[in-house]
Amino acid sequence: MRPWLEWQFSASESDLPDQPVLDAAGQTYRNFAPLQGTFFEEALWNQDQLRQRVAFALSEIWVVSGVEIPYPYAFPPYWRLFRDNAFGNYRDLMRAVTLNPAMGRYLSMANNNKPAKGQSANENYARELLQLFTLGLTKLNADGSPQLDAKGNPIPAYTQADVTNLARVLTGWTYPTAPDATPLANNPAYYIGEMFAVESRHDATEKTVLGGVFPANQTAQRDLETALDILMKQDTMAPFVCRQLIQHLVTSNPSPDYIGRVSRVFLDNGRGVRGDLRAVVEALLMDPDARAGDQEGTPISSGFGHLREPVLLLANLLRGLGASTNENGTAAAAAATLGQNLFFAPSVFSYFSPQYRTPAGAGGPEFQIYTTQTAPFRANLIGQILYRTLDKNTPVRLDAFTAPDVSTLLDNIGMLFLHDSMSQELRDAAAKAANAATTPLTRAQAALYVALTSAEYQVIH
Amino acid sequence: MLSRRNFIRIGTSSVGALALRPFWELPAMAQTGPYYRALVCVFLFGGNDSNNTVIPMEDAAYKAYTANRGALALSGSGLTAPVADALGAPYAFHAKLPEMASLFASKELAVLANVGPLVQPLTRAQYQAALAPVPSNLFSHADQQIEWQTSVAQGRSATGWAGRAADYMAARNINSSQFPIFVSLAGNSLMGAGATTQPVALGPGQSLALTGFDATAASNARLAAFQSLLNFDSGLSLMQAANATLAHSVQDASALSAALGKAAAIKTQFPATSLGAQLKQAAQIIQAQQALGMRRQIFFCSLGGFDTHTSEISAHNTLYPQLGAALAAFYNATQELGVAQDVTTFTESDFSRTFQPTSGGGSDHAWGGQQLVVGGAVRGGRVYGKFPDFTLGGPDDTDVRGRWIPTTSVDQYGATLSSWFGIPDGDLGAVFPNLANFSLRNLGFLA
Repeated sequence: MRPWLEWQFSASESDLPDQPVLDAAGQTYRNFAPLQGTFFEEALWNQDQLRQRVAFALSEIWVVSGVEIPYPYAFPPYWRLFRDNAFGNYRDLMRAVTLNPAMGRYLSMANNNKPAKGQSANENYARELLQLFTLGLTKLNADGSPQLDAKGNPIPAYTQADVTNLARVLTGWTYPTAPDATPLANNPAYYIGEMFAVESRHDATEKTVLGGVFPANQTAQRDLETALDILMKQDTMAPFVCRQLIQHLVTSNPSPDYIGRVSRVFLDNGRGVRGDLRAVVEALLMDPDARAGDQEGTPISSGFGHLREPVLLLANLLRGLGASTNENGTAAAAAATLGQNLFFAPSVFSYFSPQYRTPAGAGGPEFQIYTTQTAPFRANLIGQILYRTLDKNTPVRLDAFTAPDVSTLLDNIGMLFLHDSMSQELRDAAAKAANAATTPLTRAQAALYVALTSAEYQVIH
Repeated sequence: MLSRRNFIRIGTSSVGALALRPFWELPAMAQTGPYYRALVCVFLFGGNDSNNTVIPMEDAAYKAYTANRGALALSGSGLTAPVADALGAPYAFHAKLPEMASLFASKELAVLANVGPLVQPLTRAQYQAALAPVPSNLFSHADQQIEWQTSVAQGRSATGWAGRAADYMAARNINSSQFPIFVSLAGNSLMGAGATTQPVALGPGQSLALTGFDATAASNARLAAFQSLLNFDSGLSLMQAANATLAHSVQDASALSAALGKAAAIKTQFPATSLGAQLKQAAQIIQAQQALGMRRQIFFCSLGGFDTHTSEISAHNTLYPQLGAALAAFYNATQELGVAQDVTTFTESDFSRTFQPTSGGGSDHAWGGQQLVVGGAVRGGRVYGKFPDFTLGGPDDTDVRGRWIPTTSVDQYGATLSSWFGIPDGDLGAVFPNLANFSLRNLGFLA
C-alpha cells in the first residue's frame, strides 16, 4: 500500500473550473449544476483519488454552504484551499480558510467591525473556529477521551470570555475588492482573492484568549497570526481533528489507541513539525486498526467501518460500474435526494455530526442522513442506475460484468465492490436473484442490485 | 353519561373532582381514552431571536426594549398592532407574523416566556459563581438543540423526550398498529428516539416504497434476495443499523401508502414553502390516523436559517412570513379536519439570541427565549412564565449582553404538553427526569 500512497501524494492535482460571476444576460449566475457535475467527473476518474477524498473530508469540517452563498463562482477558490492543503499543514489551512471571503461571509468575519458603544464584535466565526474547526467543546487527551476535573466533569476547551475576546481579535477584515471597484473599509461581498485588513475597523485594545495575550496596538494581521499560534499550541487540536479524519476516511468508531497513535503524529511528524496532514493521513491509513482484516486472522472490531455518505456512494458506484460523466451529469442531484446536496450543507454543522449515533447506540455520523426515507431511496436509485442508467450523460458499462456463469459474475462483483470479501450469505442471495434472470445482462443487473443495496456494500469496512 | 373524552377535559380543569379519586386511577383513564391527540413540533434551527418574535408593549418594558436592542429594536410598522392578553397587558408581534397576533387575539395561541434548558432553577448569582449545575455546553448550537430535544440538560441522553413519551404510549398499546408514533418530516431527529420505539422519517410528498419491481418471477426473486439480507447478522453494528432502518422503511411503507391512499384531499391551502409542505404532510397523516390505527402521534417539522449573526432584520423578514403562514394554514387544516381540539403545535429552537446586537446588525448565541403554542386546546391569549428584565447585566442576564437565564425550563414546557398528551403526572418523571427540580409541574397552557 505504501507505493500507492507515494503515488497518490504526488499524483497530478484535480481542479474545479472557475465559474462565471454573471450569466450571458448580465444577471447573477446561480447555476451550480455544471460545477457539481464536474466534481463527479473528476471524482470518478482523476488520478488524485486520495487528495480528493481528504479535501472533501476537510471541506466537511470547514463548512461553507450555497444555502447562504448561492454563487457558484465562490466555490472553486474555496475548494482549492482543501486540495492544496490536503497534504499540507493544518496551520496553513486555518489561515487560508479564515481569510477566504466565502468563509468570511458564511460565518460573518467579513466586515466584523470593532464594536461601537452598545454593540459587541460578532462572535460567529470566533465560536465556530474553536468549537468546530480546531478544538471542540471539551479538552481532550491524546486518545480522544475527555479531560475531567476533580469532580469528574469534562473540562471545557474554552470559555465564553475566550469567544468574546477572539471575536475582537478577528475584527477589521473585509472582502477583496472586485475588479474596477474602489476599495472600501467595508467592501461588498466578492469571493475571489483573500480578505484584507482595515486597521481603522480593528479592535486594537489588549485581549486574552486561551491564556495567550494579544498586546495592545497589534495590527489585524499580527493579531491573526498570534491567534493561529495560540491555537496550534493546544494539544486538544490533535485528537479533535484526527478523530474526525479517521471517521471520514476509515471508521466511525476508532479505538482510543488508534486515535492516540494518529494524534501523536499530528503533534509531531517525527521531524518536530506539528499539524502535518500528509503524515497524519499516512498514519491513519497505515495504522494496524485501519489495516485489520486485510489478512486472514486479523479480525475487525464490531464497530468498524462507516456508512458510505451519498456523494462517496455515488462516486464509488459509478466508478465501479465503469460510468463516465460530465458537467451535465446528474449524480449530484441523485446525492441530493439521498440527503447530501453537494456544496449545500444545511448548516455549519455540515451534513452530519461526528457525534451522531445510530438508534442502537453505535457511533455513525453518516447515519444522521440515513433515514427511513433516504434508505429506500438509495435502493431505488441503485435500481435506476442499473436498469435505466442515471442519465444520458452518465452511461454505465454493464457489459463488463456479463460472465459465462454466475459464480464468475459474483467473483467479479466481490473483487470490484467488496475488496474480495463477499460473505457467503450475500453470495447465496445474489446467486438466487441472478439465477432467476434469463440473459447475461439481466443476471448481472440482478446480482449487482442485490450486492450494491446490501449493508455489506453500503457500510464500507 | 359523559364520554371519557369529555371527562378528561373537565377533569384537568376541575381539580376537586379529580382529587376525590385515588391518584393511581388517573393514568388508566387517561391512557385508555378512545380520543386522538397529536403534538406537532416546529423546530426553528439556528436559534431564533425570539426577543423580536413577540414584544411586551407595556411602557416600562418597551422602553427597556428599545433602550437596549439598538439597531434591532422594532417599532411602528415593524410591529403588529398591540394585542391585550387576558390580563389586559399589551403585546405586539413581529409585523411579519400577523397570523400569530390574530391567533393570540382569538385565544388560540399562547406565548411561553423565557423558556430554555435548565438542570434546576438558577439565579444570576448562582450562574456567575458556578454555585449550581447549569446545562452542558451552553451557547453551542448542536448541544442546545439536543438539550431541547431530550429535555436532559446535563450530559448526553440517547433518547428524546418525545421518544420517551412514545415509549410510554407504546408500552400501553394506545395505538392499534405498530406504525411509529413519532413521524419526522424533517429527517432524523433525536427528539423522537425512544428506548423501545423508533421514529419514521418521511419526505413531504414522498413515498417510502421500493420501486423497480414487477410481478415477474425474476423480479420476485430479486426482491426476495434483497429482503433476505435485511435479516443477515454480520456481527458489524453499522451493518445491523443500516439493515434495521431499511427494514423499518419496508414495514412502514405499505401501511402509510394504504392509509394515505384512502384519504380525501385537504382543501386548506398551504404555502408553497418547505415548512408548508411538511405541515401539509403532517395534516394528511393526521387525517389518515384511523386507517393507520393511531390515537397518539407526534410530528417533527423544521425551519432553518435563524442563525442571524448579521443582517437579522432582513433575515426575519424572510423567515417569519414562512413560519406564520405555515402555522396558520396548519391550524386551519386541523379545523377543516375537525381535530383542532386534538392537535397542539409548539415551537422549539436551539436558543434565543443576545439582546445586545453585534456590530453587523445581528445577534449572537444566547439562552432563554419565547416559544409559541397553537391549537384548539390551548388556553390562548396569555403569556405563561415571565419575560426577562431587559436590563443588560440585570437580574436575568448571564453576563452583560442579554443572554437571558431561563425562568421556565424545557422540562416544564414538555411536561405540560405531555400531560395533555395523556401521560399522568405520576409518570412524567420517567419522561422528564429533571422535572422534580421544579415546583410547577404543569404550566397550565393546555386545557
